[in-house]
Amino acid sequence: MHQFPGVQEPHSGGRLSRAEQRQRPHGAGLKQSVSTAVALGTATGGLAADGPDRKTKVIDWHAHLMHHSRSTWEADDRSLIEAADQLGIDQLCCSTLTPRRPATAEGFRECNRWTLEGMDRFRGRVLGYCYVNPGFKKEALEEIKRCIEDRGIIGIKLYNEYTCTDPVVFPVVELAIELGVPILHHAGHLHYFLDAQPHVSDGGHLAELARRYPEAKLICAHICGGGDWEWTIKALRHAPNVSLDTSGSVTDEGVVEMAARVLGVDRLVFGCDMSLTASVGRLRAANLSAPDKEKILGANMAKLMKRGKS
Amino acid sequence: MILDVNAYLGHYASRQLRHNTASSLLALMDSKKIDRAVVASASTITYRNAQAGNEEVAAEVKPHRDRLIPFAVINPAYAGWQDDLKTCHEELGMKGLRLYPKWHRYSLTGDRCLELVHAATERGLIVSIPIRVEDNRQRSWLVDVPDVPLEEIAALVKACPKARFLLLNGIGFVNSPLGRTDSGLPANYAVDISRLNALLDNEIGRLLASLGADRVLFGTGMPFSYPDPALTKLEVLKASKEDKEKIAGQNALHWLKEIR
Repeated sequence: MHQFPGVQEPHSGGRLSRAEQRQRPHGAGLKQSVSTAVALGTATGGLAADGPDRKTKVIDWHAHLMHHSRSTWEADDRSLIEAADQLGIDQLCCSTLTPRRPATAEGFRECNRWTLEGMDRFRGRVLGYCYVNPGFKKEALEEIKRCIEDRGIIGIKLYNEYTCTDPVVFPVVELAIELGVPILHHAGHLHYFLDAQPHVSDGGHLAELARRYPEAKLICAHICGGGDWEWTIKALRHAPNVSLDTSGSVTDEGVVEMAARVLGVDRLVFGCDMSLTASVGRLRAANLSAPDKEKILGANMAKLMKRGKS
Repeated sequence: MILDVNAYLGHYASRQLRHNTASSLLALMDSKKIDRAVVASASTITYRNAQAGNEEVAAEVKPHRDRLIPFAVINPAYAGWQDDLKTCHEELGMKGLRLYPKWHRYSLTGDRCLELVHAATERGLIVSIPIRVEDNRQRSWLVDVPDVPLEEIAALVKACPKARFLLLNGIGFVNSPLGRTDSGLPANYAVDISRLNALLDNEIGRLLASLGADRVLFGTGMPFSYPDPALTKLEVLKASKEDKEKIAGQNALHWLKEIR
């Protein structure tokens, strides 16, 4: 097992990144890393900070860089980093998605090339996912190997081309297990048929996949952007190798507490999916202890990013 | 001073709400340093007779009128709404209305609604309109209620220039006539920040530029929503201290005519 580039040693260049600057101790008796305090709201009088010294980074597990067909992609990417600075988010795990799905092999390769470029542009801040369409088996598996073994990508992003229980997805899951990397899977449970996403997976599908591959490290995406979150949390209860990312635009009161109660805080990972104040505010608000919030904000992700089986 | 113009009491049909009594909501507000809140009944969204929910809210807030400001939900398609409006204003001390045209199935620019808005305006009541109650993706299998289109609200504010409107739980104003200065609409409406972004596309900042700092108000949507996302927006918003104070509470006091 080894730590991925950028996780423990985010930047070895001369000038300190803003993330590193925030990591510097600001005085004796500091109880949390500064960025954790900002994200939790403690820096502005939000929540009480206590407990042992902690150095947990705040990692947004679910973020995106812009597709380069968007004329403002470069400024938008920069805005994302600046927004992360404001909110005390140290690192963002980003994928780049094709504007339309299903992605072609050339389409996802191009996206991953841009993700890798983004990792270079924002060294130490942006961690990358390899996005593939499992329908292109040979190309997808080659792309995953190239990105992860050679380029320091931290995981695999699967979207809605196939329901995750479709056998076409299994080779990707098996390769993820072999490489010891997590899969962040787009998901949502709606009580109506979503015409635009006929093959969307939900928490039930991910739980079924987890039973088939108990050694896989699966993450169910955006509990706050995937429809009926109570349904999803309950569906994932008995699938211990599925974590849940807290991202999304929905700010419903109680969602984090229910997820913590049913799944346990060790299975929750912080994410924004570009809904930054909603997602940071949600964590600030949740009635959980500061150590539990720190697990969600970074410690749980750091564990998932360690190469190896769950 | 922080005044939340977008809060609720009571139950909601599709999901359990916490902090939905006056005492528990006040405890939540205390923990977040929110001084006051405009509250209306969440139960009335699905009650047939909305007045029952208004009476519930009036009873809840009675000991807490210094901090909780009640608004009435009136359905102009339901029998006796004129009597309910009179009671809510004159006896229950309601300061404004919340309308649910899609849930209660009436047209915002239909005769009945226009009559209600004119009657509210004559009484000096604010008319607030939640664009949505909850995210449509998580709707129950029993109901399919669309968001209120911003175009329909634009038509209403144009038809009732003397009325005062608060638009809650909305987003995308900058791409609608409601967010533009050249649309010819009267300046008789304000928007709350509960669903607006303060970062990335920064719709709040863009509305400050187009509508002005007097027409953007602090709202959370609690207890449907956590209050902290709105507080976080206020914190990171790139605006002057003076403008932030307006958004946080001063504007609401002006709209409620508590200060002039």
